[in-house]
Amino acid sequence: MDELELLKKDWKKQDAGYKQLTSNEIYPILQKKSSSIVKTLFYISIAELVFWTLINCIPFFTSGSYRERLDEIYSDTLVITGLTIISYGVILLFIYLLFKSYKAICVIDNAKKLMESILKTRKIIKYYVIYNLVMAFISMVIAMYLAILHNSELSHAIEKLNNKQLFIFFGIIILFTGVFVLLIWLFYRLIYGLLLKRLNRNYKELKKLEV
Amino acid sequence: MNKELEHSFVELLEKHQNIVHKVCRLYTDNYDAHNDLFQEITIQLWKAYPKFRGDSKFSTWMYRVGLNTAITLYRKSKRRVNTQDFDGVEFRIKAEDYDDTEEQQLKTLYKAVHELNDIEKALVFLYLEDKDYREISETMGISEVNARVKMNRIKNKLKTILNP
Repeated sequence: MDELELLKKDWKKQDAGYKQLTSNEIYPILQKKSSSIVKTLFYISIAELVFWTLINCIPFFTSGSYRERLDEIYSDTLVITGLTIISYGVILLFIYLLFKSYKAICVIDNAKKLMESILKTRKIIKYYVIYNLVMAFISMVIAMYLAILHNSELSHAIEKLNNKQLFIFFGIIILFTGVFVLLIWLFYRLIYGLLLKRLNRNYKELKKLEV
Repeated sequence: MNKELEHSFVELLEKHQNIVHKVCRLYTDNYDAHNDLFQEITIQLWKAYPKFRGDSKFSTWMYRVGLNTAITLYRKSKRRVNTQDFDGVEFRIKAEDYDDTEEQQLKTLYKAVHELNDIEKALVFLYLEDKDYREISETMGISEVNARVKMNRIKNKLKTILNP
């Protein structure tokens, strides 16, 4: 006899073996909160949006001297207004895309489609993180450059450096910024890697069936 | 959500709860995990219930939500502690039903099925529930041909485990 047929025969006999929940036991379950990966993903994405928005805003709102320095450095108001509009536009765009992709996650879709919807959402969060890290890298390098340019003591010190020393100086700045950004990126990879490990494995398995 | 909806859902779930139990049985290996997954599937079913239009059977709809939760959405809860294994407790094969060889063979088979990966388990589950390949392919999102091919591979895999 086919092994699975043998199993099927027994499988059907087992129906009586499960502890039957009464309706009184089912009602309280409905009030409980889900701990699904979609919910976790949702909280992480909200946390990321808030985190990066705060990172960008807090120093500006809390420190008067920082604001003055920024005003001094970015005296070109047209550029700064343009950049602000773009950065808020990007945040709004990501919020819209995230909302849309969350709405698309539907538990009654087939297994493959459900996995794809979740992975698409994860991709949007990933792009948001990449965008922020790239912006962080660029703005850190520019900020350092501008800080040096506007600080007469530092400027004088740098003027005394020869070309090779100057090259090493900027090389170190870029390297440190790069390492910092890379560490944040690895941290994200770890969080999502752990959260979506099983989903990725199962999705690969389903995709393998199509080959 | 209104009481009427809640009442009709609970009534349907109570009647078809074995489907959820069976999914839990395949994807977990102890009581706490079983209860935890049962709870998550119930929550997902309840959340999706307003979208249930009744054009498909409630049980068919449950298979899909149950498997999707087990394969994709379920995140093992930290509150779970390892306790008693299922083997030899609730689902033990009753000695009077089988002869020794068959009983042993079934034990090995259940163990082998537990060792399959999540996707293979889903296919086996639908097969054991007498679903045809069209329904299996629709639930999993793969073609009917691929579902058949995979199922044959699983059968061979089980055969090898049983007759090494």
